[in-house]
Amino acid sequence: MLADQDPGPRRVAYYKGCLASLSTKELDISTRALAPKLGLELAELESVTCCGAGDIHEAEPDYYLHLNARILAYAQAEGCDTLMTICNVCTLNLRQADFQLKNDEHLRSRINENLETVGAPPYSGSVDVQHFLWMIAEGEGYEKLKEVAHRGLKGLKIAPFYGCQILRPSKLLGVDDPDAPHTLEAVIDACGGKAIDYPAKVKCCGFPIIQAREDVALGELIQPIEQAMERGADAMVTPCPLCHLSLDAWQQKLEKQTGRTFDMPIMHLSQLVGVAAGLADSELKFKRHVVSMQPVLDKIEA
Amino acid sequence: MRGKGAELQVKLRIQRFDPAVGDRRLVPYDVEVPEWATLLDVLDIVKDTVDGSLSFRKSCRMMICGSCGMRMDGRAILACRERMKPIVNAGHVPTISPMGNMPIIKDLVVDMGPFWQKIRQMKPWLDPGLAESPEKENLHSQAAMEPIQKEALCVMCGCCVSECNSMESDPEFLGPAALAKGFRLVGDPRDAKGIERLEGYSGEHGIWDCTRCYFCNERCPKGVDPRDAIAKLGAEAIGQGIDRDPGARHANWFVHSAKTTGWLRETELVPKTQGLVETIKQTKFALSLARRGKVPTPFPPHVAKDVNESRSLYDIVKKQGRSGAAGIVQGEKALRKLEH
Ligand code: SF4
Ligand code: SF4
Ligand code: FES
Repeated sequence: MLADQDPGPRRVAYYKGCLASLSTKELDISTRALAPKLGLELAELESVTCCGAGDIHEAEPDYYLHLNARILAYAQAEGCDTLMTICNVCTLNLRQADFQLKNDEHLRSRINENLETVGAPPYSGSVDVQHFLWMIAEGEGYEKLKEVAHRGLKGLKIAPFYGCQILRPSKLLGVDDPDAPHTLEAVIDACGGKAIDYPAKVKCCGFPIIQAREDVALGELIQPIEQAMERGADAMVTPCPLCHLSLDAWQQKLEKQTGRTFDMPIMHLSQLVGVAAGLADSELKFKRHVVSMQPVLDKIEA
Repeated sequence: MRGKGAELQVKLRIQRFDPAVGDRRLVPYDVEVPEWATLLDVLDIVKDTVDGSLSFRKSCRMMICGSCGMRMDGRAILACRERMKPIVNAGHVPTISPMGNMPIIKDLVVDMGPFWQKIRQMKPWLDPGLAESPEKENLHSQAAMEPIQKEALCVMCGCCVSECNSMESDPEFLGPAALAKGFRLVGDPRDAKGIERLEGYSGEHGIWDCTRCYFCNERCPKGVDPRDAIAKLGAEAIGQGIDRDPGARHANWFVHSAKTTGWLRETELVPKTQGLVETIKQTKFALSLARRGKVPTPFPPHVAKDVNESRSLYDIVKKQGRSGAAGIVQGEKALRKLEH
């Protein structure tokens, strides 16, 4: 692109969600470091809260709608037409609420009245919720990604793990074919890695019930890790901090339960792109992972 | 019928299983069928003209009996709902296999015994709680039936169960079809046993066993959205104070966090969900995470700016009284605009 045609960075509202603010902070740090390189200016939303995961939707569904309407309203008040997420669960929660508010005037006006009562801005329905993955896996974002990922992954074998709520229910998400998704593979490809195919890449990591039903959750978690290992993956990549946390931190429980060693390094999407783009250690923060990323980094250095 | 109109050459692979022999094989077939044929029509033609021993279930041929559930390329579908023409035009050769999460009896026929057992566990009949029959009929408005209209569409085909991730890991999980039936009963104004039902469905293999993988919503050919039905049951249970299960406590902690600090109070989530004894047993695990900075300190709490707004919103929401399943049902009007 010619310099005089460059429209400058695209300004989007950025919703990082709970986990990337807390135990998986490294995902937020790497996303921020990467954004300018990809032509994105992230507008931070300071007043927003948790989207409620599936939990508030289940415990107090009307409160879930209000909290998500408030997040969308603050994104709109920032003057942004896109709200960027880096988490599957945030993506589904926000897209579902957004669809309901856009398509039911009666519901929207009641919630807006309540937002006004507490002093929050109203939401008129002008924001589009997009996961970071979708923004870099297609169109202009993909072209930028290819430029940025110059350092490359040197043919490393990467197992893409989608998880659930970026694929299903597809009628609310709709970018990928839920049974044959392609966006993570496209990103891995652009980064110079080799995507591994395996059936559990579209299944659940168990995280939503990992505290309430640990055994059931571990029965789910083992499938993608085992299959990725059997197919010779050097690492796995996921677009979701919840998947990231269960794959990385609960792996030791699987090892204890089965007596086997997995040692499967897990990257969030922004870290995978970050490695390919040559981000500094301080921006990737692999030291915060439970399973060491060193073997992967060594292979790239070699 | 055949010979008239345009014809279609269909190639497909069918997973055959004969219990007497015991091995599973993928067998290719190539048949000529009418242009309008569904997968079920194709199976009929294979059975009539190629191999009479091919076994599958069917009855209505019009998506209402729920008999013809099976998998096409790994996805649970109703065979009588899938038109072959677009598949053939795309040059695709589909693989047909039996549904998952149920034992195979022969070819495409699975043992639905455990499925029906779980439906029975839901006590799938209305109990108005009357000592004797009333003199007159007891009319209900259409509006009162509104909350259960999606769940009432279920044809008990098992497509949702086929790919349920929690059931794969815990075969005793009541699962999406039975729990959708459960909400169909709890939400019915003619039933008086809501509390007992919610208690019963809140056990170890009940509501809180669902991992929210959304396969059931994705697969259901009738738009029942079983995952949403499970959320409605959870909302009703919590609304009635049936919230001792760790899953319910987990959900309640999110609400508490949102109204106190705005963000999830992650470190306290473990003791709030699992209780103190279990948390102490997990100390070694927690320490291994803490070493990596994965146990954020709860002090000072991570508080959102303007958190008073989310606090006040909570109070307003409670006052406006759309708690329980009503809070989810209100969003369905908009969701109906999505094509299924
Ligand atoms: S909920 Fe849908 S998929 Fe499940 S049994 Fe009923 S109709 Fe079939
Ligand atoms: S959302 Fe729950 S009930 Fe539905 S398929 Fe997944 S685990 Fe099963
Ligand atoms: S044959 Fe009845 S639903 Fe398909």
